[in-house]
Amino acid sequence: MNFRRLLFIGFLAPIGALAEEKIFFNEHIRPILADNCFACHGADAGHRKADRRLDLAEGATMDLKGVRAIVPGDLEKSELWQRIISPHEDEVMPPPASHKLPLKAAQRALIKKWIEQGAVYQRHWSYEPVAQVPVPAAAGGAREHPVDRFIGARLASRKLAIAKAASPETLFRRVHLDLTGLPPTPEEIDAFLADRKPGAYERAVDRLLASPRYGEHFGRYWLDAVRYADTHGLHLDNVRQIWPYRDWVVNAFNRNLSYDQFTIEQLAGDMLPQPRIDQVVASGYNRNHLSTSEGGAIEAEAEMRNTADRADTTAAVWMGLTANCASCHDHKFDPLTQREYYSLGAIFKGLADRPWDGNVRLSGPVAVIAENPVQQSRIDAITAAIKPLEAVVAARASQLVDADPQVMKVAKGPLTYEVIWAEDGDMRTPGNLLGIEGAGEWRGGAGVPVVGGVRALRMEGATARPIAFTAGDVNLVIKGEVKPFAHVYPDPVNPPRAISLELISEENVRRVIWGDREAFGPAVAASAIFAGPLPELGRYTRLQITACESGLTENKTFTGLRLAQSGGLVWWDRVGAVITTPNALDDPLLSQDAWARTLRTGARAFAAVPLRHDVNFLIGLSGTQQNAEEKTWIAAWHRDYIFAPLRARLEPEVLAVRQLLAEQVHYEITLPVTLVSGERAEPLPARIMIRGQYDQPGELVTAGTPAFLPPIEKSGPRVTRLDFARWLVSPVHPLTARVTVNRFWLQIFGSGLVRTPADFGTQGELPTHPELLDWLASEFIRGGWDVKKMVRLLVTSQTYRQDSRATPALLEIDPANKWWARGPRLRLDAEVLRDQALALGGLLRSEMGGPPVRPYQPVNIWEPVAFGGSNTKTYTQDHDAALYRRSVYSFWKRTAPAPAMANFDAPSRENFCVARGRSNTPLQALALMNDVQQFESARGFAERLLLRTSSDPDRLAYAFRCVTARLPTFKESGLLAATLATHRTHFGKNAEAASLVIANGESKPSAALPVSEFAAWTMVANLLLNLDETVTRN
Amino acid sequence: MNPCHEYLNHLTRRQFFSGAGLALGGVGLNWIAPSLRGAGLGQDALNARVHPPQAGFPHFPAKAKRIIYLHMNGGPSQLDTFDYKPGLQERFDQDLPASIRQGQRITTMTSGQTRFPVAPSIFKFAQHGQSGAWVSELLPQTAKLVDDMAIIRSVSTNAINHDPACTFLMTGSEIPGRASIGSWLSYGLGSENNDLPSFVVLTPKFSPKVAAQALFTRMWSSGPLPTKHNGVALRAQGDPVLFLENPQGVDAGTRRAMLDSLGKFNQLSLDRYGDPETLTRIAQYEMAFRMQTSVPELTDFSNESPATLDLYGAKVKESGSFAASCLLARRMIERNVRVVQILHRGWDQHGTLPEHLKIQCMDTDQGCFGLLTDLKQRGLLDDTLVVWAGEFGRTVYSQGALTRTNYGRDHHPRCFSVWVAGGGIKGGVVHGETDDYSYNVVKDGVSLHDLNATLLHCLGIDHSRFTFKSQGLDMRLSGVEPAQIVKAILA
Repeated sequence: MNFRRLLFIGFLAPIGALAEEKIFFNEHIRPILADNCFACHGADAGHRKADRRLDLAEGATMDLKGVRAIVPGDLEKSELWQRIISPHEDEVMPPPASHKLPLKAAQRALIKKWIEQGAVYQRHWSYEPVAQVPVPAAAGGAREHPVDRFIGARLASRKLAIAKAASPETLFRRVHLDLTGLPPTPEEIDAFLADRKPGAYERAVDRLLASPRYGEHFGRYWLDAVRYADTHGLHLDNVRQIWPYRDWVVNAFNRNLSYDQFTIEQLAGDMLPQPRIDQVVASGYNRNHLSTSEGGAIEAEAEMRNTADRADTTAAVWMGLTANCASCHDHKFDPLTQREYYSLGAIFKGLADRPWDGNVRLSGPVAVIAENPVQQSRIDAITAAIKPLEAVVAARASQLVDADPQVMKVAKGPLTYEVIWAEDGDMRTPGNLLGIEGAGEWRGGAGVPVVGGVRALRMEGATARPIAFTAGDVNLVIKGEVKPFAHVYPDPVNPPRAISLELISEENVRRVIWGDREAFGPAVAASAIFAGPLPELGRYTRLQITACESGLTENKTFTGLRLAQSGGLVWWDRVGAVITTPNALDDPLLSQDAWARTLRTGARAFAAVPLRHDVNFLIGLSGTQQNAEEKTWIAAWHRDYIFAPLRARLEPEVLAVRQLLAEQVHYEITLPVTLVSGERAEPLPARIMIRGQYDQPGELVTAGTPAFLPPIEKSGPRVTRLDFARWLVSPVHPLTARVTVNRFWLQIFGSGLVRTPADFGTQGELPTHPELLDWLASEFIRGGWDVKKMVRLLVTSQTYRQDSRATPALLEIDPANKWWARGPRLRLDAEVLRDQALALGGLLRSEMGGPPVRPYQPVNIWEPVAFGGSNTKTYTQDHDAALYRRSVYSFWKRTAPAPAMANFDAPSRENFCVARGRSNTPLQALALMNDVQQFESARGFAERLLLRTSSDPDRLAYAFRCVTARLPTFKESGLLAATLATHRTHFGKNAEAASLVIANGESKPSAALPVSEFAAWTMVANLLLNLDETVTRN
Repeated sequence: MNPCHEYLNHLTRRQFFSGAGLALGGVGLNWIAPSLRGAGLGQDALNARVHPPQAGFPHFPAKAKRIIYLHMNGGPSQLDTFDYKPGLQERFDQDLPASIRQGQRITTMTSGQTRFPVAPSIFKFAQHGQSGAWVSELLPQTAKLVDDMAIIRSVSTNAINHDPACTFLMTGSEIPGRASIGSWLSYGLGSENNDLPSFVVLTPKFSPKVAAQALFTRMWSSGPLPTKHNGVALRAQGDPVLFLENPQGVDAGTRRAMLDSLGKFNQLSLDRYGDPETLTRIAQYEMAFRMQTSVPELTDFSNESPATLDLYGAKVKESGSFAASCLLARRMIERNVRVVQILHRGWDQHGTLPEHLKIQCMDTDQGCFGLLTDLKQRGLLDDTLVVWAGEFGRTVYSQGALTRTNYGRDHHPRCFSVWVAGGGIKGGVVHGETDDYSYNVVKDGVSLHDLNATLLHCLGIDHSRFTFKSQGLDMRLSGVEPAQIVKAILA
């Protein structure tokens, strides 16, 4: 870093030129002081030494006991200078104990000159308003691109110029990869080359910007920034569902949602007036942080971390502020106080979600995304209808309990009790939530015989009906004895041949038959239990079986009871069971604890029983994580819908709710549901946390923004997320536009105009081209925050289009390419490398969006790290099309990201990341040579080549164009032919190896091709996918 | 200095052979660009160290050159292993005095308990070695080596739950995202081995009977440091190094032929674009090829003598066992790998502690013994540091029901026991004391930052000067507050 800094200063102010040059505080002096002095003499009052601050003119010139650090124009009297040059260890600054090195001669010279010139302070550049910069005069003709005029001006002062344009093929592949993350096909290259009319390149850019692939590629950068992932990230690291937010991001780029609206919808889409569903989905932004429900974790701590994570990420991504530095003390380098940091955090204190994730997929608030308006209104109607109905059930239950308080008293020890599963109607089942499968109809009224309630089930003919448990219920695990029963009324005029009862289970069970034992066929008769003759006609008889006799022993599970008859007319009523439990407190139907325990175990390993998300969430919380209100709510839920002793008595009220509930759950498990933001009525109190400790709350603070930035407008009594989002994108905000255009520049050019894209503070680097940055920022604002327009502006410049060749001379003058006298040459990102291979292999699928897919992954990536009870412990790979989707749709587990991504510098998505590293390691070489995703792509690539009817040279040239966009040189053609010959010889003699080679991967190789030839070409393709030129955007 | 040369040297030193790499050699590299030789990148560059140190490292002569970090994940009970509290036997089932607890936070797993009954260890302790250090009967083999190790009974941490505590132990911060200790060392010291990664991680199997907490790749991640300093996980199942094996049907000769062509193409690419990264890439492919033989050789124990294998116990023959990982660690240390980290899971005994802790100790005791003894016999312990540490300790009071034969213990960050042995460490030292309940440190407290500063010191690094700038901060493994080197355990 020091090395870079030194070079940087060297370039900005060549020392020889110092004598005449004006020294600027921001450009020359602040970096030196920030690095060496501000830790003890900066903004942080808590750690300030000798009351002296040097970050402000007033502090530096203040008279402290007759001493002034800086007396403008007077080196003799400037204590700062005297201390810097002091030969005495106890005087010299920075002091040796600080482990800072003494200032270098060049740095001293700058400070000396600056004091001599009057020591003029400036505010930090990025906090100043974006300057309205005129575009420099065109040195290269009136039509010269504005970006090139800025770049060219700085280059000219170094006697450099923008390089010649890259070849059309190279340029086309470059822009194709940069805008869509995919390489062009030779056919697309041909079309581009054939367009000889002016503006061909611009038209190509427009086509690429209009491609849906653009949003997939640009969206992915944003997903890095906001740390989108498919797991919680802490402890169990279970699945979380927020992929509709990911799709919203991709879509937002594709439809070119303006960046101001993009900002507002993510931070506060839920707070817009009558928000559309997509705006609510966008507010999932606030839910992307790491979360936990680790047993033992402390709520205040979790809550504080979530808030800090939100504030830090938002500050860094939108404003390039290293806000977190101020969590324990005032920021040492930037003018952000600790109080302001917590005020910033307070903006997020109104969010309605609990600090816990419950280890579940969906923790509220969530949004269910309907397929159409009709469905949406149905969902809304259910939501509206169910609440009052639930209240009715609760009121009735309370009434029953008040009348008979003993009913709730469940004591430890064995107990025999009766539970009713159907009285006036049966339940929609988890597997069949929208309708009731099976025959029959519940009827009431005159002439209908009933045992209890007001209706009975009428079945006629040879038919059956399962009476199963319902959403919110648990599968019944046999602990003691279970005796299911049903009441039957065979019609005296039209009696059935036989009737039967049968437990519904994944185990083998025996059916119990009354009447003609052969009535259900010989196969059934062979295994059935014959219980006796048909019950008496014209009246109700209670038929009872035992689970044990049916073949279900202890710890076996069943989910319901199937009623069947052969012919005739039968009335059925009051279906249930007599259960003998060894310990009532371990029985889910009697004890809420036991119920939650059972479900929690299930919930961790993917709930077998679908539950509404809010019920599921509360069950996922441990008892200590539930608050009082939640405890009461979940206890009441159990009492109203599960608790067996009240079940029969609540029947009429419960029935209606259950039908709607089943429908609600049905929508939640069949439609996309996603984490979103919601706002609580009163925000949680926000306090300064002393030393950043969750258990040391200090003074209360109100939501607000730092004083060094423009004032925020409140729409109500307090600053809301919506106010904050609007403030971020107000045209006078000095940071948002600069930080954003810098990030686009970074995406396109590989490094930013500010090379610390997440730190625009005093510790960050200065912009290499401050005027260009400001011009781009103001253009961006003036153009209505139009992202595609900005991207188009950048990629149509000559700066972008120039050749990337680095001559030794250029390497000498500008090794890090800060001045852009050559185009950047960059190793492709992890996703692009995988997607490119799939595309070349003809395997890539174009479907967009949807739940994350699980492509190939080596064995034992998740297992060695995962918690035993985690539902992401075992990686279950998908098959077929899911293997070949674009990488942006791959499942992202934060505590163990896919090696195909992590190997190539993809972040873990635990923290925000606005710039990935670009390492170059042997592990990458191994992956590109051997990863099945790469090798299968090579096989697919070879197949495509062989299926082209052409000669070897044609095929090789075509193949080379596929990966580099250009034709091979004479030498390269020779090398390709020789390589092919080598592999041909080898596989010609090793047919067995050849057939193994082409069998890599799950897609089937074409059977029409000669195996040895196919294998030889596969190796050629494997070579081509590994070329330096292929893995690089040139 | 000529900036170009400086830049290229910089590349040579810091990027050229970046990552887990291998030196060139044995393979014809006659395609290296003459133009780049002219520019200062010649054969010298190719002969350079694969994992060079930062300039000025080590800060002073190091006692230890390498480190093996044995992490017992989950939080081993100090009360049942190293922190002998005979007085507790009389206090069985008594309430933990408020004067001891002092109202400190406890996890929400036990904060709802009405009582905090004292659970003395049911295991017998005895004194061992010349130093007379107390060790419980659970670790009979480790106990034989107390004269070689410093046992610190007064380590404390800030975090009370696994996830943040593990993150803190390994990165010096509870917040995910900082560099792990192994990455720091790889970054600062590099490694003298040109054939293997500088920082290797092993995650051995553990008993299926115990409940295991999760590990996180962030425990060996490079955080803001260049990603080439990520720990490389050597795996017991599948390829030992990811993607090491050629696809089926591709033999070494075929791969060599493909690489020969690739080298020539990349040479042309280098001529065409003049990009130093291309030269790096050429080297990395050659290193990858060499790893395809050096790694299988590393994991092949067939040359180990029966006497050596015996040191590690019968389980050493079980691939992926803790014992096998220990032997693998020795083989890597022998080859000068800088950091080996073994993360053994299953030490989270909230309940059924007597039974489950015994399983854990049986799983690891012999392996630890074998490793230290083997290192010692080969003279490697003199300059290899070995650390044994969990992320926190466990409570003196029982979580759940307490009986004479059974109890559980909750997380306890306020004190736990760690041992350190080898280069730079004084053997036979027992450092620090806790109160009668092993609840609070009463003498010579050691924070994790102190521990890390001490480890760095043994490795020749001044922790206060070991920084990396990221997000506007000088990141430091040993934290913001000044950390103290534990001089009492230094040789």
